[in-house]
Amino acid sequence: MTTPSTTQLLQTMQDASEHLTANDRREFLRRGVSYVAGAAAVGGASIATASGLSSNLPPNEPQWGRQLGTGVVENPYGLPSRHESQVVRRTVPWLTAESISSISMSPIQDLKGIITPNGLVFERYHAGVPDINPDEHRLMIHGLVDNPLIFTMEDLMRFPSVSEIKFIECPANGGMEWRGPQMEALQFTHGMLSCCEWTGVPLKVLLDAAGIQTAGKWILAEGADGAHMSRSIPIEKILDDTLVVYAQNGEMLRPEQGYPLRLLNPGWEGNTSIKWLRRIEVGDKPWHHREETSKYTDLMEDGRARRFTFVQECNSVITSPCPENPIRRKGFLEIEGLAWTGRGKIRGVDISFDGGVSWRPARLKGLVLDKALTRFSLSTQWQGEPWLIQSRAYDDTGYVQPTLAQLREQRGVNSIYHKNSIHTWQVAPTGEVKNVQIT
Amino acid sequence: MFKSPKTALVFVLSACLTTGAVYAETKYQIGTPATAVEIAGWDIDIRPDGTGLPAGSGNAIDGEETYEIFCASCHGVFGEGEGRWPVLVGGEGSLADERPVKTVGSYWPYASTLFDYIRRAMPFAAPMSLDDQQVYDITAYVLYMNDIVEEDFELSRDNLAQIVMPNEDGFFIDDRPDVQNPRCMDNCADPDKLMMKGSLAGVTPIGHFVEGADAPAASHSGQHDLEATKEAERKASITGETAVTAVVSEPAAMSQAAEAGESTYKAACGVCHTSGLAGAPKMGDMSAWVERIQQGNDVLIRHALEGFSGNTGYMPAKGGRADLSDEQVTNAVLFMVESQH
Repeated sequence: MTTPSTTQLLQTMQDASEHLTANDRREFLRRGVSYVAGAAAVGGASIATASGLSSNLPPNEPQWGRQLGTGVVENPYGLPSRHESQVVRRTVPWLTAESISSISMSPIQDLKGIITPNGLVFERYHAGVPDINPDEHRLMIHGLVDNPLIFTMEDLMRFPSVSEIKFIECPANGGMEWRGPQMEALQFTHGMLSCCEWTGVPLKVLLDAAGIQTAGKWILAEGADGAHMSRSIPIEKILDDTLVVYAQNGEMLRPEQGYPLRLLNPGWEGNTSIKWLRRIEVGDKPWHHREETSKYTDLMEDGRARRFTFVQECNSVITSPCPENPIRRKGFLEIEGLAWTGRGKIRGVDISFDGGVSWRPARLKGLVLDKALTRFSLSTQWQGEPWLIQSRAYDDTGYVQPTLAQLREQRGVNSIYHKNSIHTWQVAPTGEVKNVQIT
Repeated sequence: MFKSPKTALVFVLSACLTTGAVYAETKYQIGTPATAVEIAGWDIDIRPDGTGLPAGSGNAIDGEETYEIFCASCHGVFGEGEGRWPVLVGGEGSLADERPVKTVGSYWPYASTLFDYIRRAMPFAAPMSLDDQQVYDITAYVLYMNDIVEEDFELSRDNLAQIVMPNEDGFFIDDRPDVQNPRCMDNCADPDKLMMKGSLAGVTPIGHFVEGADAPAASHSGQHDLEATKEAERKASITGETAVTAVVSEPAAMSQAAEAGESTYKAACGVCHTSGLAGAPKMGDMSAWVERIQQGNDVLIRHALEGFSGNTGYMPAKGGRADLSDEQVTNAVLFMVESQH
């Protein structure tokens, strides 16, 4: 079977669209509506009337307007509405042997703005989530320092704090698709990605307190979990922007995110931001530990591998429409997505509707911050035409997000990590969205 | 990343040091001196030059038995890897192949990494439980299985750093950005030459938003069940027997001891008893439990506490978790037994 060219493909889809009967179109829209209505019906609040309409709709007074609700501290720690129960982290079980050393993805298809709520930040553990008593947690700094120190959590929180909004991304985000598309959902193609406001102390302040020696060129950061996860970090990064953080989005870190203490290397691959941080050793050379040799190195086509591939390069994806968010109505449509770069700020994002032949600039909206998720938007009209829709971000270093063909030409298909290529959604005349690759 | 001139870095660093000293003495004075004893207890890392290695030595002859007890259940008797657990042996010369096999022998650049990782993180369910002798023995055995040392080679603090791994020169420092994509706006590609490839169907757990989706399981236990069902069907198709379908029933009320055992089960026992690793009877697999339960709880608890080698599998004493109390292990056994209804 030969692969159709995109011209043929768009034409075929257009033809199919023209042959859709009015019933087909209504059927699709009805399914879209029933999906939404179905979610509401689970709540059990609506009562169908003889006309088939909910008694909670105008002109009727809805049920919740005719009774009292629950009182204060019903939920001392509040929860999302029960009608939002589908907005959860999810995993792809066949990726890993079991759930203790595994990964889950954030539901970025359902999120708004640039902040990921704490309960939805993606998870990656190498030995599960430890249950750490903060009173018994210590951070030790030693090695090439004049005064080896131990800090309690109380000590660390005495230092002047900083709060910064930064994304964190697993370098394997998208890594399942080097050879071809296989994840039929945005949550699984790009969900190893979250963005929080983190609060803590710059690591350089703590190293200054210990008196780092001039021979100190690298640090080893190590976790207190069963994996004792360890990574070597060059001193230049620490002098630039590495933080030791104890809070996210206004509250203490979640256990999944390293409670009570984690490292944060903004813009760098997530595994360098060691969780449950207990030890920093200063040395003159890197350690070449398992998670920076056997794993998290990028195998090239010639059999050699890149190491210390720290930076998460400029990347973007359209979050609406996407497979989970098909287009349900003809007419006005706001296309939205997320862009991010580990090298600084997003300068702009372009959108293509024809698989990358022509591009239109999108608008950045809301906050545009250094090494943070940045939301983009383009308002348009959709009348059922088939699209091969893409986003392409560029950052303030001038780097433009590459095509998959360009990455494959440089790296082959076995490097697993750092696949930041332009992503394509195929929008069908029905409004359904599929994950495809254009090369 | 390292393109800045070295002199500039030194300048920045020393500027920082100067102000740092002022900070430490006049401003914060927060934290307590770390004693040599405290540091020694936590300073577990090893470097390629051998820095950090403890005294002692080991060899593959002794390592074979230790490996089989602590490692083989996941990594396979020959290092071939069980299920999705990491393969340790083989793959030499495969790194440029279409399907490279990355193992200790074919990929790892330094032998020190092996000692470091085994000590800090293995065995998976009981990290930091091996003594230095065991770590040297297992390290030597894994190197031996990869034809890197001889069987009787005595691996020690003095010679580990001299071992040359086959792929030591196979790495280079990050040289990205490696692609330059111009920001073209019009006629950026010939539409007739663009090719589109669609997704593989049926590998994504998308049942949460596609009605009637033929999607795989959404959880690891669901995935294990799915694979077990497929395996049972495959066996049934060979033997011609009807596959036994699991009967799901309401869980019965548990004893207090069993309820108390659930957390230990999750933290220690579940690794093997959820997946069936090392021949462990799987939770919910009634056929594997019926005869065991008939032996009585005392026998099962004794086997769990003291270790047991049966026809189908191997149970290390306390599952290799010497840190667990007898009561914790007992409660975990009761949790497993009382869950099989």
